Amino acid sequence: MSAVATAGTARPTRRKRDYSKLAVRLGAFAGFAAIALYFAATARGFVSPYNLTNIVEQSTILGLLAFGMTLVFAGTGTDVQKGGIDLSLAANAGLCAAVYAVLLRNGYGSAIAIPAAILTGMAIGALNGVAVVLFKIMPLLATLAVLNIAEGLELTLTENTVVPVSSPLIDMLAFGRFLGLSSLTWIFVVATIVLVAIAHYSRIGLRLYAVGGHKEAARAAGINNGAYVYGAYIAAGGLAGLTSILIVARLSSSTPGTGQMLLPVLAAALLGTVFSRRLIPTIGGTCLAALFIGTLANGFQLLGISSYWVSGVQGALILVVVAVTSFAKK
Amino acid sequence: MSVPSHTTSRPAFNLEALSNYAVLAAFLAIIAFFAIFADGFLSLDNLVSIILNKVVILAIVALGMTLVIASGGIDLSVGVSIDLSSMVFVMLIAAGYGGFVGAVGGLAAALCVGLANAALINKLKINPFLATLGILFIGETVQRVATGGGNPIYLTRGQYAGTFDVIARTEFLGVPTPIILMALCIVAVYLALHRSVFGRFVTVLGDAPDVARYSGVRVGFHTSIVFVACALLSGLAGILLSSTVRSYVPLSGDAFLLDAIGATFIGTAINSERRPSVVGTLLGVLLLAVMRNGLLLIGWNFFWQQVGIGVLVFLVLGISFGLRGRSE
Repeated sequence: MSAVATAGTARPTRRKRDYSKLAVRLGAFAGFAAIALYFAATARGFVSPYNLTNIVEQSTILGLLAFGMTLVFAGTGTDVQKGGIDLSLAANAGLCAAVYAVLLRNGYGSAIAIPAAILTGMAIGALNGVAVVLFKIMPLLATLAVLNIAEGLELTLTENTVVPVSSPLIDMLAFGRFLGLSSLTWIFVVATIVLVAIAHYSRIGLRLYAVGGHKEAARAAGINNGAYVYGAYIAAGGLAGLTSILIVARLSSSTPGTGQMLLPVLAAALLGTVFSRRLIPTIGGTCLAALFIGTLANGFQLLGISSYWVSGVQGALILVVVAVTSFAKK
Repeated sequence: MSVPSHTTSRPAFNLEALSNYAVLAAFLAIIAFFAIFADGFLSLDNLVSIILNKVVILAIVALGMTLVIASGGIDLSVGVSIDLSSMVFVMLIAAGYGGFVGAVGGLAAALCVGLANAALINKLKINPFLATLGILFIGETVQRVATGGGNPIYLTRGQYAGTFDVIARTEFLGVPTPIILMALCIVAVYLALHRSVFGRFVTVLGDAPDVARYSGVRVGFHTSIVFVACALLSGLAGILLSSTVRSYVPLSGDAFLLDAIGATFIGTAINSERRPSVVGTLLGVLLLAVMRNGLLLIGWNFFWQQVGIGVLVFLVLGISFGLRGRSE
């Protein structure tokens, strides 16, 4: 690296930065590949088609919620303290799951329960938007208050109990297969493609990143910043609503404790930045990060390593990744 | 924004000044409300129980958080400091080393968490949010491995032989010991943050890190001290926690994380620079505690309490920050 810097001709700093970013990016991919190869070599059954789809299936819920977080990061900047963040996302999914499960229990059909769950999610997202855009409360604090509201509403709806659910749709989501892949896998694939198209190949996405990247520049370019921040929070809420149905399908019930997914979701969205070219949150990067975390959990399971270690390894990974990235950004 | 900007400074000043009192006014209104509608809210017993059960531990953690947030950081790993301190404390007592060695061991465990945070932030240049998030995950694994998956450790009366009672159930001049410990922490953090050169440097670090760096503030040193202090305060809270419940329950410290952050930021609403302060944080802690207790007394169950607190905090902050936003 120092050789590059000294031998640099026209724009030495720029070139040095490009090389080190490339190194980080390749390093992240190489790390992922190395871990996957290690599991393939040591864990029996890791590379079987059944297990590989199982990994995708296990990553779906985490991945979809992390997509919501990624949209919020994209629209409000990546500085997690001063920029935007949505701490209420996982609790929101829990609330939506409760709404869905309780409506089904009370005899309403999926035709009412699913829109109700998604609208609940979007309403909570809109509440975040109101707090952040209209009241100008710091996102970290605003979404913390909304987290309490969402978690409290979930508890009042379910009285902190498991609400078992069964419906044809749930069975289809949980056990259905199409072209050899499970419903959850398909949903993850489709959601990734749709969100990549919106976030990275559309005008809306471009403007969303502009708002998150440089507020004043975006405003000067004539973008209505507030609308995009609202949009990001509401879209994240809608994704939480959609994911809640998958959560209910996977567990055949609405179960207290969904809110505890907040930290893994944050980890996936932040880890995803190292898979992107400019080290920013992207849908593709988040997708890889979710799969990475899913792969780790799956590999550990197959190797018979105690699940105690999973969160510790996740934590260490975040630290390594971020330390390397921050050195590369200099 | 759609709000018309004020050309004269006078109405803006009034709104700005008003917004600084929004939290205090809300706090007084809430107390008045519960004094009227909740039987026994104002009784001495109830007030002491609010402080002992709801305030002391949260206040000590929130003081640490205030220091960290004042320096421009955040500490998501306070739960780890609480839990590891509590764990080492209880394990040492269970092994027969007595309360003093236990407490020192507990604080040493918290110190390790603080030093780890400081090293990650200063040496590896990781942003505090992510550094402490990583420690939070690692702390969970440490606890699960040390307790065989997360089994609580309960001590028998013979094992704790009065240690817990000395810490949690004695009085000094008629005041319960935990309250005295909290008062000492409040005074210490107040002096450090608001009445010392160190505090000035920390505040500058939080407000304008570049200015701090260019004027020769030892950024790394001050950041380290702040994170270590936060970890030690959380460690003390952990010792108080396990003395009160006479056991160590893995992963119970995380419950304080969001409340401590909330209290600190609610506290920032009371001054015009929106800066964390010891007085503001204590007001935030009291606000949360009074709301929990009052809603309980008027018969709301735990679940509705949570909704109520969320809505109230939302409204208080909305008024406070909203008024200020309009005045700009």
